[in-house]
Amino acid sequence: MKRRLLAVAADGALILYFVFALFPVAWMIILSLKPANELFSTYFSFTPTLDAYRTVLGAGSDEGVPFLRFFVNSLVVSLGAVGLSLVIGLPAAYAAARWRFRGSENLMFTLLSFRFAPELTVIIPLFVLYQKLGLFDSYVGMVWVLQLVTLPLIVWIMRSYFSDLSPELEQAALLDGYTRKQAFFKVALPLVGPGIAAVSLLAFIFAWNNFVFPLVLTSSEAQTVTVGALSFLGGDRPKYNLTAAAALVSVVPPLLLALTIQRYLVRGLSFGAVKS
Amino acid sequence: MTELVLRELRKTYASRGRPPVEAVRGIGLELRSGELLGLLGPSGCGKSTTLRMIAGLEAVTGGDILVGGGSVVKVPAQRRNIGVAFENYALYPPLTVAENLGFGLAARRRPRREVAARVRGMAERIGLTELLDARPGGLSSGQKQRVALARALIREPDVLLLDEPLSHLDAAQRDTTRRELKRIQKDLGHTTILVTHDQEEALSLADRIAVMKDGVIQQLGTPYEIYDSPANLFVADFVGEPAINLLPGVAGADGCVRLSEGVRLAVPVRLAAGREVVLGVRPEDLRLVGEDTAALRARVGAHEPLLEAGIATLALDGVAGPLVVQTGPEVRLDRGETVRVSADPRLTHVFDAATGEALR
Repeated sequence: MKRRLLAVAADGALILYFVFALFPVAWMIILSLKPANELFSTYFSFTPTLDAYRTVLGAGSDEGVPFLRFFVNSLVVSLGAVGLSLVIGLPAAYAAARWRFRGSENLMFTLLSFRFAPELTVIIPLFVLYQKLGLFDSYVGMVWVLQLVTLPLIVWIMRSYFSDLSPELEQAALLDGYTRKQAFFKVALPLVGPGIAAVSLLAFIFAWNNFVFPLVLTSSEAQTVTVGALSFLGGDRPKYNLTAAAALVSVVPPLLLALTIQRYLVRGLSFGAVKS
Repeated sequence: MTELVLRELRKTYASRGRPPVEAVRGIGLELRSGELLGLLGPSGCGKSTTLRMIAGLEAVTGGDILVGGGSVVKVPAQRRNIGVAFENYALYPPLTVAENLGFGLAARRRPRREVAARVRGMAERIGLTELLDARPGGLSSGQKQRVALARALIREPDVLLLDEPLSHLDAAQRDTTRRELKRIQKDLGHTTILVTHDQEEALSLADRIAVMKDGVIQQLGTPYEIYDSPANLFVADFVGEPAINLLPGVAGADGCVRLSEGVRLAVPVRLAAGREVVLGVRPEDLRLVGEDTAALRARVGAHEPLLEAGIATLALDGVAGPLVVQTGPEVRLDRGETVRVSADPRLTHVFDAATGEALR
């Protein structure tokens, strides 16, 4: 009896938390469906309209906010950042897993430190540098700076995947006549496929969600949705319904991605990733 | 086929801030063509490092490796043509058995028809035909070991290296796989090195055995030579099950060695009186005898009847260590009982107490 009560209480607590956690999302959805004149009403009135979505996705001509371009920018910059990180990070992770070379641990720690050092500490010097190098407000600049976000993630998680892989497999491939490079590409890499899928998604979400870098290092050409969605709050009066719609639209790509590779994700995150 | 020669082979691992580790300290071996040599030693003795150097997976610090008369030290692993069956099998998990076997041939760009034919041929030889479409995940350890062996053999390597081939098999599989291994190796006639810490594996499979410790070969010889005349205390202690009795004593003037005040044993070598030695007597070379004046008196500490034989642990008067004796299956002994034991002087080994070397 007591146990049952406890179970019910636990379920109740979970439901409470569920409501608490998802309430902002529900609020955002409602907000995005409201007509502009009902935004600040103190009574509950709800006549859903897709006006906000139309404005946001309609190239934003009447609001002067090119939201679709921000959306494309986000896609380009995030995919580019993850892609570049994979190209650099996979061999790096493999090397770190297989060989202890001079300074390898320091190198790995430096990478990790990119994750726990607040971005704000480096943003001013980066801004100055980017202005001087002509990287300000460019795809290349954004992809580059997002390496601070995606590269450590990919290198650290993939290293533990490679460590879990028996080195004898690659050695067998060497004896079978493969070169080191072929052993890496044809034996090691396919075996960590689930890990690559999981870590890529994770890195993509982090890159997509990043706010500080695009806020400071872009102005219009390479601006991303996270900053772009805020543009609706400027002007004579804040248009919360547009901001909410923009935010919801910008959730779609990571969500779709997560759903498509969910199968790998569970497998990928449940082994390897947390072992040191 | 091919002979394999190791000359003064050395491997030193240098690491910053710590003294370098000498894993292999100048070992020399010559394998005749088709010979199976067992490299036997405890873990950490350098036997696997030696194997990995021959395979080309580990850089050589010094010395030379000759395969068929030519040095391969500077040849990368993929061009050495050496087959290795790894301890953990190292089969490619996403590939079927057939693909695993054909992997190396495909990597060397052999025509597809030839690959298929050779895979089929090898599978028949090793008894894998029904397993060709299975994936490694679904195989038993014994089957995996056979696939690993087939994969090593299919390229027709000059030298075959087996790393602890039986260590992950259960007792029943071990026996059959061992017999298979011996048959296949003799059939195909590959020059083979078998690395193992299991003396039974080495004794039953190898033509000759090299016992290794601390990166040095302690003794090289046929299984009988290793067993009958161990070169030093380590070899004597490491080979033989149950382990040899090692009893410290002092040589007397009468051709006997005194183990304690009243316990003396005759030895087959002449020793200067007063010399400190260690006697080695194998449990199976000791006999329980009736009332006999020449025999040793001992008290029974424990007796384990093991069906086909028994193991008795005895205590000798004034001698610290126990004396283990293998008894016949019919013998029943009680704790505390007094028995008499005789040792054949010809089967008693004498070692120098200081150096551990055998005295002959």
